[in-house]
Amino acid sequence: MKHLRAVNKKARRIDDFVAARDEDVVALQNPNNRQPQPRPHIPMGCSLMFSPGWEVDSAGGTAGLCQPVERDIYDCYVTCYWPAQVPDHLNNSPDWSSKCASATKDWRNLDLVFP
Amino acid sequence: MKKLLAFIPVFACATLGWSGSLFLGGYPNSILVVDESSGKVVDKIHLETGLPVSMHLSEDRKKIYVTTNDHSGIEVIDLATRKVTNHFVLNTATKRYRFNGGVPDPEGKLFYTVTTEIDKQLEHFDIGKPKYTVIDLAQQKIVKTVEVAAEDENDASGGYGRNVFEISPDGKYLYQFRNKVMILDSADFKVVDTIDLSKPDFPGMENIGFGADLDSIPEPGKHVSIFTASDPIVHNRVFGIGRFDLNSRQMTFSPIGPAPMGMAGLQVTPDNKSAYTVVANGMHGNKRCEFWSFQLSTDRLTERAEVQCRTRFSFGSSSDGKKLYIYGAGFEVEVYDAATLKHERTWDLNNDVTMAGLVVIP
Repeated sequence: MKHLRAVNKKARRIDDFVAARDEDVVALQNPNNRQPQPRPHIPMGCSLMFSPGWEVDSAGGTAGLCQPVERDIYDCYVTCYWPAQVPDHLNNSPDWSSKCASATKDWRNLDLVFP
Repeated sequence: MKKLLAFIPVFACATLGWSGSLFLGGYPNSILVVDESSGKVVDKIHLETGLPVSMHLSEDRKKIYVTTNDHSGIEVIDLATRKVTNHFVLNTATKRYRFNGGVPDPEGKLFYTVTTEIDKQLEHFDIGKPKYTVIDLAQQKIVKTVEVAAEDENDASGGYGRNVFEISPDGKYLYQFRNKVMILDSADFKVVDTIDLSKPDFPGMENIGFGADLDSIPEPGKHVSIFTASDPIVHNRVFGIGRFDLNSRQMTFSPIGPAPMGMAGLQVTPDNKSAYTVVANGMHGNKRCEFWSFQLSTDRLTERAEVQCRTRFSFGSSSDGKKLYIYGAGFEVEVYDAATLKHERTWDLNNDVTMAGLVVIP
């Protein structure tokens, strides 16, 4: 049966109907809704994403970040704690911050990394 | 007049009261020494092996054992001279190790931790399972490893910046304070006993390790901290103050009330009469924090005051227990008065601090 596919409108409606029977319908603000909240899809890891300046917290927002976000930059760098576009300390760029003791104040001293 | 001038410095010290030194891990590779009375960085101890991720004060309070993560290093700092007396790394060209802190034995010869070994192969890395590890500080190498039981692997290596173990004053037992209290024989790492109490989780808070808590207690071999427990019927979580005797392995637990969402470690004053913690409720932008102070003679919550909490921070107290510190992430230390729980001043260290914790020396 897996090799069969719908080729006309009626067959596609039947397909949709069968697929809809597996889904659950819940109220958006139902306090008894025990379904887990969908997690944002964030590609984890220091250098896995290539959107410079994009930094989000574990919930996909920015409310969980330090203020200013430069305070978090070393934890992105050392532990990959926040997903952010920074080099990684442990494997590839151990000297990235060797001239910068305070990221908020002297971030211009951070090294340039050319992959 | 001379008498008056001679009296002034004494009076000033007595008024300030807190004249100890704080040792904090600093980016990129140093230990910052901060004078408590001025809030200034008076010394930077350079670490040869890289970025500090944990510190542990020795039993005699004469040395600090620092672990670094660039190449999995260990450095020993002599507090009298503020010099590094021993340093080495575990990584080799084909082997890497990961570990989060550890504890030295009472004689300062061995260092106990939990390591994960990573072997570099031709085209990939083999990542091993966590192992209890003994490092000989004189030989500067691993001398013993024991595999962690499969059921204990979770959280065995501690969190980032947390100490993995505490050790009894006689060196016979190792203690792991995690989702339960595990007591291990230091000779063979066999589990001697387990106690079903857990450290409270604190999202976004690093300093729930026991090293900093122990540092604030004047009595060696005694451990006082906040634990949570739940009843077996409705699993209601309560928090309370637990007192642990590391020698006799005896523990007393005084429940106080329903457990909040997160609590920091307990900072006990040197006179052992009061203790402080920070409580957090809510997440991210909705997080609210409060200082809670306790009277240890009655195990009662005596005072609460809202505090503007950072997204992530660590909590510590001064050498005389009269000031409370909130520090990290970043370069500032906020100083609060322990009696009023009010903000007093903010120190600018001009150097970001790591999550290695805080060691306070009177």
